[in-house]
Amino acid sequence: MEATTLGVVIKAIIILAIISAIAGFGTYLERKVLAFMQRRLGPMHVGPYGLMQILADGIKLFTKEDIIPQNANRLIFALAPVITAATAFIALSAVPVFPDFTIPSWIPLLGGTFVPSIAADINIGILFVLGMMAAGLYGPLLAGMAQANKWGIIGAARTAVQFLSYEVVTGLSILAPIMIVGSLSLVDFNNYSSEHGWLMFTQPVAFVLFLIGGFAETNRTPFDLLEHEAEVVSGYATEYSGMRWGMFFIGEYANMITVSVLSAVVFMGGYNDMWFLPGWLAIILKIAFVFFLMLWVRASWPHVRPNQLMWLCWKVLMPIAVINVVVTGIVIMV
Amino acid sequence: MGLEQFKNRNIGTQNYKMLDLEQVPTRNFDKFKQVVKRTFKGELFVGLWVTLRAMINALFRGEMHAVKYPFEKLPISPRYRAIHEMLRLLESGHYRCIGCGLCEKICIANCISMNTRYDENQRKEVSEYTINFGRCIFCGFCAEVCPELAIVHGSRYENASEQRASFSLFEDMLTPIDNLNLQQEYQGFGAVTPYADDHIKKTPLAY
Amino acid sequence: MYEQIAFYLFSMLTVILFLITVMSKNVLYAMTSLASGMVLISGFFFILGAEFLGVVQLIVYVGAVMALYSFAMMFFDATRSIKEKNTSSALVFLLGGMSALVLVLMFAAPIFSENIQALYPMHPEAGNAQDVGIVLFTKYLIPFEVAAVMLLVAMIAGIILAGKKMDRSLTQDMSVDMEKEIMIQKDAK
Repeated sequence: MEATTLGVVIKAIIILAIISAIAGFGTYLERKVLAFMQRRLGPMHVGPYGLMQILADGIKLFTKEDIIPQNANRLIFALAPVITAATAFIALSAVPVFPDFTIPSWIPLLGGTFVPSIAADINIGILFVLGMMAAGLYGPLLAGMAQANKWGIIGAARTAVQFLSYEVVTGLSILAPIMIVGSLSLVDFNNYSSEHGWLMFTQPVAFVLFLIGGFAETNRTPFDLLEHEAEVVSGYATEYSGMRWGMFFIGEYANMITVSVLSAVVFMGGYNDMWFLPGWLAIILKIAFVFFLMLWVRASWPHVRPNQLMWLCWKVLMPIAVINVVVTGIVIMV
Repeated sequence: MGLEQFKNRNIGTQNYKMLDLEQVPTRNFDKFKQVVKRTFKGELFVGLWVTLRAMINALFRGEMHAVKYPFEKLPISPRYRAIHEMLRLLESGHYRCIGCGLCEKICIANCISMNTRYDENQRKEVSEYTINFGRCIFCGFCAEVCPELAIVHGSRYENASEQRASFSLFEDMLTPIDNLNLQQEYQGFGAVTPYADDHIKKTPLAY
Repeated sequence: MYEQIAFYLFSMLTVILFLITVMSKNVLYAMTSLASGMVLISGFFFILGAEFLGVVQLIVYVGAVMALYSFAMMFFDATRSIKEKNTSSALVFLLGGMSALVLVLMFAAPIFSENIQALYPMHPEAGNAQDVGIVLFTKYLIPFEVAAVMLLVAMIAGIILAGKKMDRSLTQDMSVDMEKEIMIQKDAK
């Protein structure tokens, strides 16, 4: 069925509403999982099992005083969090989050509307998502440079370093699966894995490299150089408060979801039916697993120094990724 | 460590216990081998398993270590030195303080001040007794020196007040006359913590 | 209609942003407008249906301007505006105007001339990633390979320049020269 404008708009609203809600819920999950792994309880007192903690945090963020430092560049300072949040959601527009569905006809006004799995089904979906997520790092960079704070400048410099390091690895690691599938469209990845099985098993090296790159892309723990509290106070977010800071947070969690969805769709079989599980449940479980993996790693592993990150990306991961691409090419040719 | 050894502990060669560390690799190939070894050794997965095990234990085997503080409190030791309490005589209900002034004398922070006078029976009576909690360092000397076990340290460690003077008056520290039956004898500085037997692993006498 | 609206919106924004890039004295404004202008240019590719090129534009320039930012961070105080030293504005205007004119001529030529046509028109049945690949590996194979070799040269040069043994020559045996110099110094004494 053809995607109508109404269907695309509905999909966009679904992405915006649900993902930003999930991003808020992600903070709750992160606090809970980290707490359990440290034998604590986590948030408990707002609502049952602390479920309403997001609301309390939201109220706090919205009513907090919004401070702009005296010597800061006001325009860029205000712009930076918007870049992070906006690019995170733009990236999600090209990601198939749920399978296609048609709104049942008993619902008034919208009944019978076909909602596509992707808001913008462009043929080069995966490149678009990676490019948009890369553009998202302008948020921390500009934030760090605009705030006239030394910790901010260090955070911004680390952003540039991290970006230039991991971007090569992510691009090269995703290249081998692209060669196998022969398309850049995420829907084709999904269809390929329904016929030939999960790409995770045919491309294990690429999967691990992509996960590492994804952790660096979302500033998760082994690579959370940008805002590591023990070293640079809060890095790029030092001078931010209130909702501006909250937008950074929403962007970060939306990016985490994007990376989870990408690895689920590209490497873990997408939204195909799995054994007895229907497709939508299978993809939710896969996304949840990758999301949990991010929290799990944060609870377990220490983080690396910036020079170690550069060493890892340029001297170890990039050669491995290139070798992987070459081997894949030879195998495809033979 | 003997006395002689103790005196010479910073002189000459010392009894350091050397750790058995691996050599730091210098050649590039050795560094490469170290990286490969560490990559495939699986130490990272050991770390992941440790946290996952902690989570499973906490959730399903009741090893949650959190104490919901304002609602539940950990028991404190009888030796704990918090806000002072003034005890009463159990028989008559009169306060135990005889106004000797020893606590005021011994107080190294100079925070206790008291005035006494003779009452109609020519007994000493405390007319004014305050402890400045802004100065008190909770050393416990006053409780130790008190001949009548009148001033002791209590277990009230959560203090909030608009000004410190509010909880430093004699009447506030005195056991309320209604709760006289609940008054517990202060066990003193040598008191053993509850369940001390469980915490002791090996007595020094075993060596 | 949507395409026209989008085109005029994008072109207006792009022109304004690049004007800011040239005119602004604050390095932060200049860099940011440059980056966002580059991102908006990829919008034109999307309007024209060349999604692959659009995304490549996005990825390449986002990375490139990020590298520029790191230089700006090293050289300038981002919160202050820079005092410029303009030696000859006439020369600047002349050179800038000339290159702009040449660019306009180059891109306007296919509109006015009938002789210039696309030799490799787009195949609607294939995606444009495939189109780009076909053209690159048939007609433009030699420029493509030359570009690859140039990038390789640049990479090797970069590695050598940034290497730790920069004070030593890789081609000559410096120890011989050093001995000679020492001998000369001894003779002089």
